[in-house]
Amino acid sequence: MIENAFDISKELLQIEAQDSKIKGYRFVTATCVDLGNGTFDVLYHFDKNLELKNYRVNVKKEEELTSISNIYFSAILVENEMKELFGLNITNIAIDYGGHMLLSDDDLNSPMAKQQIVIEERKGDK
Amino acid sequence: MGKTVIPFGPQHPVLPEPVHLKLVMEDEVIVEAIPAIGYVHRGLEKLTETKEFTQNVYIVERICGICSVMHAQAYCQGIENLMNIQVPDRARYLRVIWAELHRIHSHLLWLGLLADAFGFESLFMQIWRNREKVMDIMEETAGGRVIISVNTVGGTRRDMTPEALRKVIAVSEEIKEDMMKLEKVFMADYTVKHRLVGVGVLDKNTAYEFGAVGPMARGSGISQDFRTTGYAAYGELDFEPVIEKDGDCYARTLVRLREIYQSVDLINQAIGKIPEGEISVPVKGFPNGEVISRVEQPRGEVLYYLKGNGTKNLDRLRVRTPTFANIPTLLKMLPGSQLADVPVLILTIDPCISCTER
Repeated sequence: MIENAFDISKELLQIEAQDSKIKGYRFVTATCVDLGNGTFDVLYHFDKNLELKNYRVNVKKEEELTSISNIYFSAILVENEMKELFGLNITNIAIDYGGHMLLSDDDLNSPMAKQQIVIEERKGDK
Repeated sequence: MGKTVIPFGPQHPVLPEPVHLKLVMEDEVIVEAIPAIGYVHRGLEKLTETKEFTQNVYIVERICGICSVMHAQAYCQGIENLMNIQVPDRARYLRVIWAELHRIHSHLLWLGLLADAFGFESLFMQIWRNREKVMDIMEETAGGRVIISVNTVGGTRRDMTPEALRKVIAVSEEIKEDMMKLEKVFMADYTVKHRLVGVGVLDKNTAYEFGAVGPMARGSGISQDFRTTGYAAYGELDFEPVIEKDGDCYARTLVRLREIYQSVDLINQAIGKIPEGEISVPVKGFPNGEVISRVEQPRGEVLYYLKGNGTKNLDRLRVRTPTFANIPTLLKMLPGSQLADVPVLILTIDPCISCTER
């Protein structure tokens, strides 16, 4: 088990991120895990004095998750990455690449997600 | 004044790997920088889901050549933690020795590239000549020059003979002596200082707020080095994080220079204390549950998130590499800088794009 991991609702994420910043935590990264049941676990990792604190947010695939890049600018890259590779619907990212930070138009929509790829939906593939 | 957009990269003489920056300029001064990555994305995290957890060591080693040992170390330590595997003491020390050799090789590579970036070709040549000695000793002790593949879940795959350990000490001391001569050029040469001092200043608070790691953070006065937590055998060795306070390109260069000496010292300490015994233990069962493993790479702290499901395959392997954490600080440093300083500024974060994109 991960130490210092707290399950929170997506509504609380902004509040906890703000609170972490006030308390002197730095943003480390976020991890998206596709649970295979139509939901994602998104873990936000913060660090203070080399001790990690982790917030776990469970979101449904179609749900929106508000970016924390307005609080921690350094979250922009990982939030764009999760948005592209998992199809996670993260909104209000400070610099939103619109799905083209890593992927081109010819790529799969969300290659890291556990999903059946319908061949007709793959652009550029006959 | 009108603004001009200048594309920097993805192919540029100063960049060993492709990264693109869209630089919004006012005259010669940068007002905004927007990065674009994705040129060498390989989907390695996804690939690990299709391989056995023991095979993943070979994949994570190939995330990046320059810190391949530490990638494997972070992964193995995570799996060992998940499976409650006690690694033999000798393996813990061997991991430190090879990791510090890799740190020396990485910092020498970077110092050479920096010298090349500001046009000091003979300095570049001298530093890389030194680097060859590390590459040779890695080949002698592990059979490979870059991806030496010594770590395995449960310990190490290779041991070092007493003769090899003595040679590692001799070679690392030789490198230290050579670098002490070359250090004078970095510290005192007018041209070098002119290109580095006061350029790309990142103050301590900003570095912390933007999540800087490794020499980027330590060059801004943040005393943060994950080795101080004592993983592997670091807890039994005596060292302090190398810190500089000015936060400019010069400070980051000095941190890396002094970390070479620190690595030589750590190698000497580790070889002095390495116990006899086994180098690995058998691994039974499969990983189950979640774990986070962190290791200090040459560029800063790497984070591995591992999730096992009780089978031979992992559910998820996620890597946050140091360059991924340092790119936002680069975006903070670039506005206000001169266009001519961009190559040196990019280099001082020691970017590893293959790490960043995995």
